[in-house]
Amino acid sequence: MSAPSRISRTAVALHLILLRPFMKVFCGINVTGLENLEGLDQAIIIANHNSHLDVLLLYYLLPASMICRTHPVADQPYFSRSGWLYGLVNFLLKPIWVTRGKRARDYDPLSGVKGAVDDGCSVIIFPEGTRGRPGEMEHFRSGIGRLMEQYPNLPIVPVFLTGPERALPKASALLLPLWNNIIIGPPQKCVGSHREITQQLESVLVDLSKSEQARRHKRRLQKPSSAGCLAILGIDGSGKSAISATMARRFSESMRVCLVSDELRLFENGRARDIQPLLSEKVRQRISAYAKTVGSLKQYKIPKLAELLLRDRLLNESRRWYSPDLIVMDSSPLLNLMAWSVLYDQEELDNAACSTALGILSGLAKDVSSSDRIFKRFPELARMKQLGLTRLSLPDMVILIDVDSATACQRIEARGEQRQVHETDEKLDRLRRAYLQVCEVVRTDWRVPTMIINGARPLEGVMEQALQFARERILNEGS
Amino acid sequence: MFKNLPLITLIAVFGLLSAARVYRHFGRRRFPFDSYLCYTWLFFLTFLCAELISYAVSIWILAVISFWAIREYFSLINIRLQDRVALVGAYLSIPFMYYFIQTEWYGMFIVSIPVYAFLAIPILVAWGGKETEGTVFSIGAIDFGLFLFVFCIGHVAYLISYSVWMAALLILNVLVCDLIIFLVRHRFKSAAARKYCSCLSAMPIVMVLSLALSTWTGIPPIHSTILALMTPVLVQMGHHVGRFVEADLGIQEDLLVPGRGQILDNLQSLFYAAPVMFHYIRYFLK
Repeated sequence: MSAPSRISRTAVALHLILLRPFMKVFCGINVTGLENLEGLDQAIIIANHNSHLDVLLLYYLLPASMICRTHPVADQPYFSRSGWLYGLVNFLLKPIWVTRGKRARDYDPLSGVKGAVDDGCSVIIFPEGTRGRPGEMEHFRSGIGRLMEQYPNLPIVPVFLTGPERALPKASALLLPLWNNIIIGPPQKCVGSHREITQQLESVLVDLSKSEQARRHKRRLQKPSSAGCLAILGIDGSGKSAISATMARRFSESMRVCLVSDELRLFENGRARDIQPLLSEKVRQRISAYAKTVGSLKQYKIPKLAELLLRDRLLNESRRWYSPDLIVMDSSPLLNLMAWSVLYDQEELDNAACSTALGILSGLAKDVSSSDRIFKRFPELARMKQLGLTRLSLPDMVILIDVDSATACQRIEARGEQRQVHETDEKLDRLRRAYLQVCEVVRTDWRVPTMIINGARPLEGVMEQALQFARERILNEGS
Repeated sequence: MFKNLPLITLIAVFGLLSAARVYRHFGRRRFPFDSYLCYTWLFFLTFLCAELISYAVSIWILAVISFWAIREYFSLINIRLQDRVALVGAYLSIPFMYYFIQTEWYGMFIVSIPVYAFLAIPILVAWGGKETEGTVFSIGAIDFGLFLFVFCIGHVAYLISYSVWMAALLILNVLVCDLIIFLVRHRFKSAAARKYCSCLSAMPIVMVLSLALSTWTGIPPIHSTILALMTPVLVQMGHHVGRFVEADLGIQEDLLVPGRGQILDNLQSLFYAAPVMFHYIRYFLK
């Protein structure tokens, strides 16, 4: 195929008088790196392709002397569909026509391009081959590599365009006035095999697309973080808060960890970080402080329940505001509530009823009818369901630090704290058994990984065991 | 000679601004005030056109500013494929509104965007396609742009029809407030102190300006005083809102070029000042 004839003087005048001012005033154009085109007499211009506007934007860059000897490469069958469009494109741009996807023995799609280059013309090539999805770059076809293999001295000017995919997208024929940004990179000279050249050019354009000028702000759509929740259970004096704090710190070396304990904390890179305060956290701390000072069990129940519910709320709020990778909870509101109801239930609670109650409280059991036996047994459950408080979250992992009540009492006394109203030997013992039962239910019926660790040993050993368990589960989840 | 003093002053100010622009154009270092200078120059060009050539010409210069501003805004927001028809409607509402300003049909001007464009955008969005997700955001975003960049700037245009001098005073006062905000922006650590300081220091200057020019603008001294007290606060409000809008649109202070927030940044002080001053003048002085 011979080289295409030059663009006529009339067409060049049209470019200069009509198209350029139109593009400048109507569409709005920002050009960066125009100095890269200076002094170039012949070049291959490559650009990403998203819109029909692309080629006009590239012509906008060229000096008047270069317009008449620059030809884009275009697909003939596509433009031949409409007669007047073909005529217009042929008149204004004088493209080098190729046929996409045609595979014949005597057909070399590059022959036209080679002819033009030999003739001293510049060529505009969109190496992606077609207008891809808006705003995305596809892999380059190998044509550009094959061409440059034969002309190693010809400079290639990479140009990255943003905006045309919005001003005139592939799916719409409506041209809207919206700004276009053109970023021109420094001319490249490539050597190597055609594969290497293609790869190299693609990476150049990808780099340009990442430059500051090309960056398009996208509204941050915050996906609710689905961070896993690790709950550490145990009766008072089992050392669960110390263990959860240490675990949070240890895990934070590789991820963002939120610790929901007596206070809410965020760890990153092994250190605590300043965090935006949350209102519900402040309220919870007040209630918690009040609950610790009350004298009778009756007064203790309601504040404690409020504290637990707020703690559960904090779990979701911290997911939203701090976007952690892991949440470590010192006691889980759902399981604590369950254990307490086992504790205060007059008769022995069997595992099945416990499991149903758990399902209702966590909102996971959908098919429990309102006339179920469980509601007669626990009228509070019906009340909570009425109030819509049945969305407590079930933790993804549970670790129970199991200590007998004597050790726990010792530890509490060693801490020098005043005992809370419920902390008697007998109560703690029953609570411990309740926790064991709840853990059993959670493991068998709800299939949550659960580990029961004997907490009477020194703290370090307990910690190592807990860490190992949690690490294995987190790694499993990750893979 | 004295009869033409206001006009001579206006020409002098315009000449000064033009000289500054030419000087800056050949200056080597970019200065953050360059683009602001450009827009102030454009406003004074419209005033000069209104006085010397024709009121209609100045109106349509402002229409072009509106077009530039809203085009930049639409380039920055996220639009869906099916909002494109609505965007055409939004662009067309610029000549729609400015035509009524040109014919000085107040009743139609004041309902053109809040009623007609407001009703047209949702139906155009709905006609655009079948996708329902994001409809509310699209309608809201397009309407917000129309109100801010067409309706608010339109108030300056209508103010010119009352009196070029009143409009010039508005732009001058806003310029003074912006200058002071610009000067104090690094002086204080807390944002509140910055705001109070710029408001309080702008008030006396604006007041002196308004009172000194009250014979030309025709605003009685009492109203000049009240307007002078209001303007810095309104400009500050515009800046405050502008800061939030800019942050959400991802506009960076250090990368202000046309099409990436420069126009919005320069016009933000007018968002509150122009409509409120216009309606104050219309209510008390017309």
